[in-house]
Amino acid sequence: MPNVILDPTGQVQAAKSAPPRAPRRASLRGARVGLLVNTKQNAAPFLDEVGRLLVERYGASGVLARTKTNFAQPAPEELIKEMQAGCDVIVTGIGDCGSCSASAVADGVAFETAGTPAAAICSDAFGVTADAMAELRGAPGYAYATTPHPVAVLTPEQVRERAARVLGDVVALLTTAG
Amino acid sequence: MAEAPDPDAAQEAIEYCYEQGWSDGLPLVPASQPLVDRFLATTSRAPDEIIGTLEQVGRDCTVYLAAVNAAMAGCLPEYFPVVLAAFDAVMRERAARGGGWQSTSGPAPLIVVNGPVRHELGFNTAGGAFGPGFRPNATIARAIGLIVRNAFGIRPHVLEQATQGVPGRWSLCIAENEEESPWPPFAADGGQAGGVSAVSAMLTRTSEFVDNRHTPDPGQVLWDFADTISRTGSLIFRDTSAAVVFCPEHAQMLAGAGYSKTDVQAWLVEHCGRTGADLRRAGKNGLRGIARFADGDASADETFSKILPSPRHIPIIVAGARNAAISMVVRIFGEWSGASTPIEKGG
Repeated sequence: MPNVILDPTGQVQAAKSAPPRAPRRASLRGARVGLLVNTKQNAAPFLDEVGRLLVERYGASGVLARTKTNFAQPAPEELIKEMQAGCDVIVTGIGDCGSCSASAVADGVAFETAGTPAAAICSDAFGVTADAMAELRGAPGYAYATTPHPVAVLTPEQVRERAARVLGDVVALLTTAG
Repeated sequence: MAEAPDPDAAQEAIEYCYEQGWSDGLPLVPASQPLVDRFLATTSRAPDEIIGTLEQVGRDCTVYLAAVNAAMAGCLPEYFPVVLAAFDAVMRERAARGGGWQSTSGPAPLIVVNGPVRHELGFNTAGGAFGPGFRPNATIARAIGLIVRNAFGIRPHVLEQATQGVPGRWSLCIAENEEESPWPPFAADGGQAGGVSAVSAMLTRTSEFVDNRHTPDPGQVLWDFADTISRTGSLIFRDTSAAVVFCPEHAQMLAGAGYSKTDVQAWLVEHCGRTGADLRRAGKNGLRGIARFADGDASADETFSKILPSPRHIPIIVAGARNAAISMVVRIFGEWSGASTPIEKGG
């Protein structure tokens, strides 16, 4: 009997389960919106504008913004809990790098698991890595919103236009329309 | 004479490894349990000891997985204590534990080996320090890359998002030329004095040569280094960090003029930087916290901004042959932890 060739990954195939999905509301009227900003260039003004438009156009009741201290890592559990307590829906991003796109999606999945609908926004250059992270977090096929790459070099006016363009997708992700 | 091994069986095993997605692109040595057992016998550490965790992807590396990957990389079993020390040294780097392997900048570890182990294992300590051509240097660096790929699951185009990558990624393992260096070994700067065998590691974004065979004046030579270190393209944040891998000739010229390593570092801290006008031309003159941005304000055009905040941000290593005054500036991703890791004596 010859020796087997050893596997260098240490992985066993995990059973596939349905991705976590928090219950949706029919509309965002009266909803408290949480913005989880990852500190990437233009992420704060982008999400601020998304929050402002959700209040102005969709009747959300207010906005709570929080900033991650490390864009590369998923948000700490305390921050997830704090935002969950104060918010009905979450918008997180902007994923526009290798690690932060993946972690924005990981945060989205963490909020869904905890029972709060979340919309992650990533640049469209990072779809593969975002999808891979969703799968790692037990949420294969997790849906997120995308905005065209690049984001970091946009002017303030362009950032507002981008926020307006992605708004419909964000609303769809956060409500039963999605 | 022993019978030659069966090439057809070897090729089949190599292709099997490719098919599993384990390879970095080059052929792997198929690892069997008897081979991996010989690796595990060189360390007192238990096979199931976790030696690295990448929390965001939920993956661990154990001593056993490191051994399998080191065997596949082409290491000899006796290299394994160096692989373990190198991996520990790499994982001391904040960026390696964070999102560094997923980063668009695609950083490469630079591994530096010091002490008697260099000669015991046959490392290249002389010419061609950045490789290739020598088994320990080539395969130990490759083993770290295979661990990141296989044990951590960070694969190109998926969780690894390098825009262009870095020349020499997973192949940079320098054994310092201690014999021709006028200064204490690099491991002493990392807290491992007394000539022990030790490994240091930093993440790098590229290497850029400084060829100065033009002047016997150490001040002029240092200006040439300062110019390369101060390149605006590599500036992202307020501060930067770069290692200088001096060739023996440059190191000996500086030492001959009375410069200790600390003196060289102090000189570079003082002289590396750019004027506000230079930075503004490149759109990097403004500062928001530590991040640079294009600020239209030209009032600081005449101001010279230093970019190396401390001597720790300019590590100094000596490597290569003494046959020409050609050195390397190695751009550091983040900053060096400042700690070297001793190598366990083989079991």
